[in-house]
Order: sequence, then structure tokens, then C-alpha cells
Amino acid sequence: METARGASPLAKSRTDRKKTPGPDPQLLERMLYYLKLTREAESRIEQVLYRQGKIVGGVYVGRGQEAIGVGSAIQLVEGDVVLPSHRDFSCFLIRGFTLRQILCNWMGRANGPTRGRDNTLHIGDVNRGVIPIISHLGDTCPVACGVAMVLKRRGKNNVALVHFGEGTSSRGDVHEAMNMAGVMKLPVIFICNNNAYAYSTPTSKQYAVKDLAVRGAAYGMPGIVVDGNDILAVFSVVAEAIARGRRGEGPSFIECKTFRMSGHSAHDAAEYVPHELFEQWKQKDPIARFEKFLLAKRFLTEKQIERLGAEVTEQVDDAVAYAESSPLPEGASAAEGVYCGPDCWWKESSR
Amino acid sequence: MAILTYLEAIRQGIWEEMERDASVFLLGEDIAAYGGAFKVTAGLLERFGDERVIDTPISESAIVGAAVGAALMGMRPVAEMQFMDFISCGFDQIVNMAAKIHYRWGARVPLVIRGPAGAGVHGGPFHSQSNEMWFVHTPGLKVVVPATAYDAKGLIKASIRDDNPVIFFEHKYLYRRVKDEVPEEDYVVPLGKAAVRREGSDLAIITYGAMVRTALEAAGQLMTEGISVEVVDLRTLLPYDEQCILASVRKCSKVMLLHEDTRIGGMAGELAAMITEKAFEDLDGPVVRVTAPDTPVPFSPPLEDYFLPGVQKVVEAARKLAAY
Amino acid sequence: MPTNVVMPQMGESVAEGTIIKWLKKAGDRVERDEPLFEITTDKVDAEIPSPATGVLSKILASENETVAVNTVVAVIEREGPAEAQAKPSPARIESEVPAQTAPERTPRPGKKIRSSPLVRRIAREHNVDLNHIQGTGLGGRISKKDILTFLARKTAPESEVVVPAGIAAEAAGFSIVRGPAPEHIEFTGPTHIVPMTPIRRQIAEHMLASKKTSAHVTTVFEAEMTKIVTVRERMAEEFERSEGLKLTYTPFFVQAAIEAIKCFPIFNSSIEGTNIVYKRAINFGIAVALETGLIVPVIKHAEEKNFLGIARAIQDLADRARSKRLSVEDVQEGTFTLTNPGVFGSLFGTPIIHQPQVAILGVGAIEKRPVVRNDAIAIRPMAYLALTFDHRVIDGAVADQFMAYLKDRLENWQEPVL
Repeated sequence: METARGASPLAKSRTDRKKTPGPDPQLLERMLYYLKLTREAESRIEQVLYRQGKIVGGVYVGRGQEAIGVGSAIQLVEGDVVLPSHRDFSCFLIRGFTLRQILCNWMGRANGPTRGRDNTLHIGDVNRGVIPIISHLGDTCPVACGVAMVLKRRGKNNVALVHFGEGTSSRGDVHEAMNMAGVMKLPVIFICNNNAYAYSTPTSKQYAVKDLAVRGAAYGMPGIVVDGNDILAVFSVVAEAIARGRRGEGPSFIECKTFRMSGHSAHDAAEYVPHELFEQWKQKDPIARFEKFLLAKRFLTEKQIERLGAEVTEQVDDAVAYAESSPLPEGASAAEGVYCGPDCWWKESSR
Repeated sequence: MAILTYLEAIRQGIWEEMERDASVFLLGEDIAAYGGAFKVTAGLLERFGDERVIDTPISESAIVGAAVGAALMGMRPVAEMQFMDFISCGFDQIVNMAAKIHYRWGARVPLVIRGPAGAGVHGGPFHSQSNEMWFVHTPGLKVVVPATAYDAKGLIKASIRDDNPVIFFEHKYLYRRVKDEVPEEDYVVPLGKAAVRREGSDLAIITYGAMVRTALEAAGQLMTEGISVEVVDLRTLLPYDEQCILASVRKCSKVMLLHEDTRIGGMAGELAAMITEKAFEDLDGPVVRVTAPDTPVPFSPPLEDYFLPGVQKVVEAARKLAAY
Repeated sequence: MPTNVVMPQMGESVAEGTIIKWLKKAGDRVERDEPLFEITTDKVDAEIPSPATGVLSKILASENETVAVNTVVAVIEREGPAEAQAKPSPARIESEVPAQTAPERTPRPGKKIRSSPLVRRIAREHNVDLNHIQGTGLGGRISKKDILTFLARKTAPESEVVVPAGIAAEAAGFSIVRGPAPEHIEFTGPTHIVPMTPIRRQIAEHMLASKKTSAHVTTVFEAEMTKIVTVRERMAEEFERSEGLKLTYTPFFVQAAIEAIKCFPIFNSSIEGTNIVYKRAINFGIAVALETGLIVPVIKHAEEKNFLGIARAIQDLADRARSKRLSVEDVQEGTFTLTNPGVFGSLFGTPIIHQPQVAILGVGAIEKRPVVRNDAIAIRPMAYLALTFDHRVIDGAVADQFMAYLKDRLENWQEPVL
């Protein structure tokens, strides 16, 4: 197991930036944009639309852990595939889903990517390289192996990223997938968002080791712990794992330590979480930290950040209005499209 | 035309599909170097190489999940379950991941999960099950059960070409016992179409898999008693051929549903309900089921004999029904 | 006490094994578990240990012989008590026809009549009071057969339903070949006498009886096959791909003939005494040449089938004929027959009616012939159609109208094949 706390310019401890090439300012701005857009969209969903009854069903957000989705998926190139967890909203934006499409899906509209068939972030598009979770978390890990088998055979040095939580890591599918990926040397990067609670279950009841990353060794792959609230640290650790994968050296396992700054879902007050923990982790907010870094290093000005914030709010306003004015599906359309066939119902869709 | 066993016909079907479509590949336990526990995939590694005939760890969930991932990427994986009994270990990936993707977000998931099922070989409770109904109750899957060598080849080819997840139940008792004339050329047997194996007029036996042979043998015996039996082989259980079933029901007016699977929640129950809904006024007697009892499949030969519906059980039930 | 040595089942799907080598000779003494013989199967090669101690008294399967699993291949004589034979428990029937009360054959008025949903529907449709019908089913239940017999008597009081004896009661054992095999006769004198086979005798009797019974007349038409040849060529591949069936010409002729029979129901009748019995079902017979003679398998209720259904039924009969699974019933109850001498190159024949039917249609070879179209000579695929009909009930004008209609259907083929 390795740790990578020192790899980020955001880390308070030892920094060694002179040896690494300076970050690309445009990339940094894009990262901040996706962080802020994700935070704003999820907040609107959880705290406004859900409470207004405009979104029904489960609402799961990734507040406080946005840096993991953004810091990893932002590095993907054409042909790569991401299988995000339900707390990686940003991955969908980065891979080209529009906020309008995503909001339509949350609100069960006929023109959403699932046409009302599935909710939240259960949105996929093979052409965009996004394969969504099912509620049986962990099932995407073996799927990522199959994706990687094909990527490997195509020989274009592509990789698959699969995100899951520390609770999910207890599932057998994760074991089977990591073992298979290790045996077959598949280009899969297993990214664990360790956010301290699986619904109400703390890590002490989930696993018996200090760091999950030790499991990497058991599957013949590197296991790395990283500060999941430090986007540059996440970026650099994932970059190394991706590079390994592209070189044909097989899978990697990255454990991102973070904290779920919400309940399990919008209906969960998370009273089982000690209040101090929320306070403590609030200080480590990934977006505030990143903004501070960008200001200090003069990559962006206060004004630019403010403008970015306004832009993000406007985009969320637009997407919400668009989704609200979009039609709900016809009830009887539920009977269509069970099978894929020559007269496939999906083909006539607006996709 | 060559005479092939049911097993050889499946192998030939897979072989031909791998020749004609580079996206077809195989994965499973002991399938490559060893050629599969029953040797269904023997020789394929030598012909197609280890990128297309892949030995995996003992991880049914990962095998099915990986097949889903590969299918989403445009491949046509064919995954082997060493015994269909072990499919339970990959159940979640089949019923929740594979079966629902197309309905949820429109992606194609063309994959086949195939393997040996069924009893009659003293395999005991974990090597003998007829567990097809676990999947028949899952919208989005197709469930295929060939009874002849000709069909085994035509159906495996159709299953591989189908754009949906297909669960393909091979009956291990038939592997080397059933032989047919199997054309060496390319042909498919379409999914979702039943076959009338024998025409008759007094009662129809609707069945599938190894029980088709049982039904035909019983029909032959019953003919000598003046009872004319029609035998329908369903071939595909999901989606099943309602039209063909109803035509036989209307023709014969009496119907027996026969399967090796256990009774409660079996295919026979589904078909009985459908027949009474759609052809009630064509019925001249009760819809009768002949099935295995509701127990696990026992090991010891006398116990297994008791468990399996045999020719005599079918003949006796048919006599009663014909006289009704 | 002898112990049987059997071919073991080496693998769950293995059905047979071959003996490679006996390691002991008959008369040798063997110890239990001592290697006795070597086998090979589809899956493994193995050395088989002796099941008991004793003397190898008999070897029943020789080296290189392949036998089914569980076949006794040797016997070992030994001392000791007989082994208890496991006796299979009697099979239980997992099917339940509802329990019946004692048969009660005469329903009394006012008492609940036992019938079935089908019987009640037929009664409703034909305005029949079920009180008037005697049930023969269990507990006096009125069955489908009972009500149909009742209706038949009502409509044709004097006639009984006659099941044609058919010419091929022994059909079940025959296989279809391309045609009759050429005969080789070894003469030892000026003549060579061979008794007729039973089927030949039946055919002879039947043909003569038919000639004596019906007033045979044959009329010949010629039909242009361009449209059907085109349809077949265009659709053959797709048809086979989607249905798994070869698209042949036979279903086209059968389908067209069914349409013609529907317009001219007299062709689906028979004569009984001084009555003409029209048949509702078109049970369509197709004459097939066998090595041993002639057989006419029948597509039952052909009028209910579409093109695909007919094609499938033909395939099914052919398949079952090939695998020798035709039943007696498969060749009975025909109401009209098609014969196809064209396969052997005949232009047309004058077929003999298959009793008690009243007509038989012969189809000649489809071949390209010069024909006159718009005052020019054109090359078209053509076929002669010969209809033999029974002039007792069908007049020439009707027969020719039937044929003109049939010709029109063939030349202007409309029905989709898929």
C-alpha cells in the first residue's frame, strides 16, 4: 500500500511542486466549474426540488466528495469508459450529458435519457462511455472488467474507471471483479469513495482494517490511499493509475478518504453521525480548498470565481425550468421496449 | 447430412457463429484448455485463440458482469455456467443488470449464458436442477431450451445473434444421447417459436427439453390404445409461442402440460392460466399438469426415478384425461 | 453368488464406453478393487477395478466393443450372501385429474348436466339442449365427441362418419426416399415370381376399387409460374433464416388449391350412398413416393393455416416420415389430394382418385417453355396441372372453373409467404 498525501499542491505537508510540471490553468478552471456545477445542481435537487415534491423517490447526493468524481473523470479521453457511483454526479456532466437531460431524468420526464424508466443518476450512454450503476451497488465492478477486456483487445490504450463506496466494498462482486481484473491484468481503476458511512453503518462495522487500500495487494494491484477532498491529489493518483492501465500494466485500487456531508438520502437526517464530524470535515470542504489554492496561486481572481458561480446558478435555473416544462411520459409507454429488436421502441427515441 | 449429438450440434453452432462474427467470444470456467466440463467447447481454443476463448476464475457474478460489460461495448459474449445450478451465483448480474439495461436506457445487451441443466444422471441436488423458471419470471431475458440436436444448433445460433440476454438451458441428459441429422450449413431456429413434434387430435401434451422425448414415447404408446396425442415442443420459454399452443389446444380440446421442473410456479402453471384465459371455451377437460414433485432433485437412483416424470406417469395421466 | 460387472458411467452425460483391454482372462481369480479392464469414453480413459472378489466366469463384451453404460460386460462368481436388490419405489403420479364419482350414464332432467366449456359453447352455437345428449365421458359427462356425434346425426341422419381406410395403414415404418428404387431381378427361368408385399396388395386393391367406384375424368391446364418462381427466389433465403424451413413450391400449390376448394366445396366432398357429404375441414393429402410404395400424409385442417403454417406442416410430415414417426392417423381422413409427378420429370399424368375423395390434382414439372405473349414468343416457367375428378358429382364445367380459378391464383400469386 502506498499513500499519496504528499503528491498534491493542496496538501499542507511536504510539497515538492517544483519537480512536477505546473498545472494547466484552463484545466484547473474546468475542474472548478464542474465542482461548483455539481454542488449547485445537487443542492437544488436535494434542498429545493425534492422538498417541493417535484422530485419523488430517493435523492442521493455527493456533497463533500465532489473532488473524487471531477478529479478522476476529467482525465478520461475518447474511448475510455466510466462507471460512476450514485455520488459522482460530475462524471455525467464531464462525459457530455447536459444538465437539462439529467434534471429531466431526476424528474421522470419523457425526454430524459431513460424516458422515465429509471431515476436519479441511473443514466447511461455507451457512446459517451458512461455505464450507470444499478441499485445493487458493486454490480458495476464486474461490468467494468468486461468493458476493460474489450478495451484491452482493441489495443487503443483505453481504460475503465469504476467508482464505489466503502460500504459497497463489502460485496462479493467487488471481490470477484478485483480478482478477475488482477488475474487478467485488465485496465480498470477501482476508485473507492470512502465517505465514512454506508447509510448508517460506520466503517468500524464495515471492515476490519485501517485502510481498505491494503486489499490491492491481495489482488496483485497497487492499493493507494489518497485525501479525497484534495482534488489535485486525487488527480495525480488517478493519473498514475490511468497511465499504468494505458501501459498495459493492469488494474489499480485507489481509496479516497472523504466524508458524506449529507444523510444517506434526502429523507435521512443522519442523526447517527456525531455533529463534530460534520464540523470537522466542513473545514476540509474540497471546493473551498481548491478555490483558496487557485486564488493563492493566482490562477483565478475572486471576480472570476464569482462569475463562475453566477454562471453555474444560471445553468441550474435553466435546466430546472426546462425539466419542469418537459412532458411526463404516457403511462402505457411503460409496456414498450422490454426487448431490443428490429422494431425497437428505443430507436425512435430522441436519443 | 451429418449425424451429430446434441452436444456436437451446440459446439458446431458456436463454432460457426465465431467464424462468421469476430465479436463473438466465450468465457467461463475450464472452457479453454480443458474444453469445458462436458467438452462442449473442446477445440475452440485451438481454433480461435485465448482472446476469444477465455478461462476465468470461479466467479459466476464476475463472468456474467463481464459479459454484460463486453456486450455493452459491442461484443457478443457467450458465457458458460459449468452447471446451470451455479447460475445462482451470478443471479443478480443476470436479473438486475443484464435483463433491465435495455428497458432502462436503451442499450443493447447481446449475450448468451449457456450451460447444462436437468436431471437423470444422478447428479444430486446441485448438478441436476431445472431452474429455468428463475429467469422466465424476469422481463427482459429470453429463455431457450432445445430438445433436439437440430434445434440445439439452430437455437444457439439464433441466441448468439439475438440482441438480448438469452439464457440457454442445455439438457445434460441429452448431450450424448440425442443424435439428429444436423445440416452443416448455416441455419437458425427462430426464438419464440414452438414446434409441433407430432400431430394428434385427442389431447395435446405441451412440453420442452428432455420431456419432449418422454412425451413422444408416451404418445406412441397411447396411439396403440386409440388415443391420438399431439406433442408441442415449446423450444423457447420466454417469450413463449402462445399462438402455437392455442392452436393445439383448440384442435385437441384437452391439454396436458409436462415438465421436468417442479410443480409450484412451474411453466405449466403459467400456461394453464394462459390457456384458461384465452381458450376456456375450447376446453373439453381440465388442464392437467405432469411435473416433478416440489422437492430438491434427490441423488440416489430410486429417489431420482421417483422424482422424474417418466413415460408411464405421462401415459397414466393421459388415459385419465382422455376418458374425462 | 454372481456379481455383474457393468460398463460404468464415467461422467454425467456419457452414454457409452469402449472396452480397450481385458486385464484378466475368463477363469482368472480376481480380488476386489484389482484392475479388471480398461475403457475409453468420450470424456476419459480409465482402468476399471473389479467390483468383487471371485472368479471371472464370463466375459460378455470383447475388446474394442462399444457398449451402453450399465451394460453387463462380465460376471464374477463368488461366495457369500446375495446382495439385497434395491427395488425402485412405485412411481407416484404428479398429476391429478379431478376425482370422479361413480359413472352415472343417464342424466336425469333437472339434474346438473356435466359437460365442458367447449361443449357448452358448441351447444350455444348450434342451439342444442344438452338434456338430449347422452354423455359417455367419466361420470356421464358430455364430451366434445358426444356433442359432435349428436350434431352429425342431426344433420345427416342416415349416414355414419366413414373413416377412409387409407392405403397406408402400415405407414409408420417407412422412410421417404427420392423415389422408388430401381429393381434388380435375377432370372432363373423364363419368369420370376415374387408375392406382393402387403402394402403393394393394398395399393393394388385400392387403385382398382377406385377405378370401379368413381367415374374418372381428367382435365389438363397449363399455368405460368413466373410470379411464384420470383417470389420463391426472392424469399427463399429470408424464409429459411427466419423460419428454419426450406421454401419449396409445394406449399404454393397447396395454398392455391385450398383457396380453390373454398370456392368450390364440392371438391371437398365424398359420396355415401345417394348422399353427397361435404366436409367442413380441408384435410389436404400429399402423395409421396416411397421405396416400398405410395403414401399420402395429410395436413389436417389445412383451411385454418396460412402459407407459413402449411409450409411448416409439410416440413413436419416430411421430417416425421424421414424419422419414421408418421402415425396411422397422419395418413387418414384426407379430403383432397395433391400428387407431384413433376419431381420425376412428368409433364402431366392422369392420377387415380384416393377414395372416398372426389378429386386429385397432379402437378407436372416446372420448366421453361416458349409461350406466346403479345403475339411474340416468350420464355416462361410453365407447369401442367392435371385434375382427375369424379364425374358422378362433378361436371366438366365445374372442374374447369375450379382449374381456371386455381390457375389464376398461381399466376397472380398475392399471399405473403412470411
